[in-house]
Amino acid sequence: MLTLYRPGTGWLHRAPAGPKVFGLLLIVLAVSILPSTWLSAAIGAAGAVVCYLVSRIGMVELGRQIVSLRWIVVVTFGFQVIFLPMESAVANTTRVVAAIVVAALLVLTTRVGDLLDAFERGLGVFSRFGLDPERVALVLAVAITTVPVLARLAVGVREAQRARGARLGVRSFVIPFLVVSLKHADDLGDALTARGVV
Amino acid sequence: MTDQTVQPTPVKPVSRWHIDATDIARIAVFAAITAVLGLPGAFPVFGSVPITAQTLGVMLAGAVLGAWRGALSMVVLLVLVALGLPLLAGGHGGLSVFVGPTAGYLFGWIVGTFVIGAIVHAGGRTLTWPRTIVGVLVGGILVVYAIGIPVTALVLRLPIGPTALQATVFLPFDLIKAAITVVVTMTLVRAYPRAFRMRPRDRA
Repeated sequence: MLTLYRPGTGWLHRAPAGPKVFGLLLIVLAVSILPSTWLSAAIGAAGAVVCYLVSRIGMVELGRQIVSLRWIVVVTFGFQVIFLPMESAVANTTRVVAAIVVAALLVLTTRVGDLLDAFERGLGVFSRFGLDPERVALVLAVAITTVPVLARLAVGVREAQRARGARLGVRSFVIPFLVVSLKHADDLGDALTARGVV
Repeated sequence: MTDQTVQPTPVKPVSRWHIDATDIARIAVFAAITAVLGLPGAFPVFGSVPITAQTLGVMLAGAVLGAWRGALSMVVLLVLVALGLPLLAGGHGGLSVFVGPTAGYLFGWIVGTFVIGAIVHAGGRTLTWPRTIVGVLVGGILVVYAIGIPVTALVLRLPIGPTALQATVFLPFDLIKAAITVVVTMTLVRAYPRAFRMRPRDRA
């Protein structure tokens, strides 16, 4: 499946997933609590640039991230300018964008599989409260593998309707799509039961 | 094969929190349904909250799966998103969506599906039109907005009044999706009743 991961060999790529999550969250938190002033806008922007340079992800990727956020930037800034002074509007927009692009470093430098493993290890802490990490892992794994299956089913439903000359409406698509998806869920449930999951 | 008699499986006393294989499949599949509804035919409209069929999946999860399983399917979807899968509308994903201005709506999905399920499936009775309509409106719109708007105001440091005003831009689309959810749910009850699986203890 498509992921947001960008392959690389920098030290952030090689860093273990768990500490990386905490480290990046700390930076995001620090950026998020900056006051709404010109100075903190500069600090936030500089912080994001430093993060991308130090982690060897590079300015090209930072630019790509900001372009993908263009609507958030436009709406956030445009809306703030109406209600807040220019200084606050610029600082708030910069702060939000900086927090988002720094948080994005996690998925850019970590494979989904590694994050999944770290997440499962982290869940072990909650096993004393009756949470079963293996069961959680199973649900996540089933969901990941089901997305492409359902995407194919959706294409199938559309093509079947087009073949019959049916008009493509939300309702005429959603009902058959839900029925085949839920049928797939029942088959999956039976398959899991047959493999000893109760 | 001498003994052909099938022993009736004794009904195990399942705990309230037990999630069996069928539940696992349903929860996982509804997380995937919501993800897939965000993929095609998505029509992102100018705004910080892209308008897609994705929230249709959110509303349907609560209405079809019920409170707990519906909310869990949203938790599964959001965990996968946090782990870096681009499953949100417009191919968004990763930890960043949880620090952006729309983060509150994502958490609102969890509470919203729970409320939808709790109202639509109240008392484990059969689904009725009025209860489904109320459930979808309260859980799918009221609750989601009630969590989404304050978080947006907090992240952007804006007063809550104008933020709420801005959010109403999306209200017409959400009302359409709520209407579709109600019709689809009530049709699904007849088209695929197995989907609304009730356990024996629920019916009792």
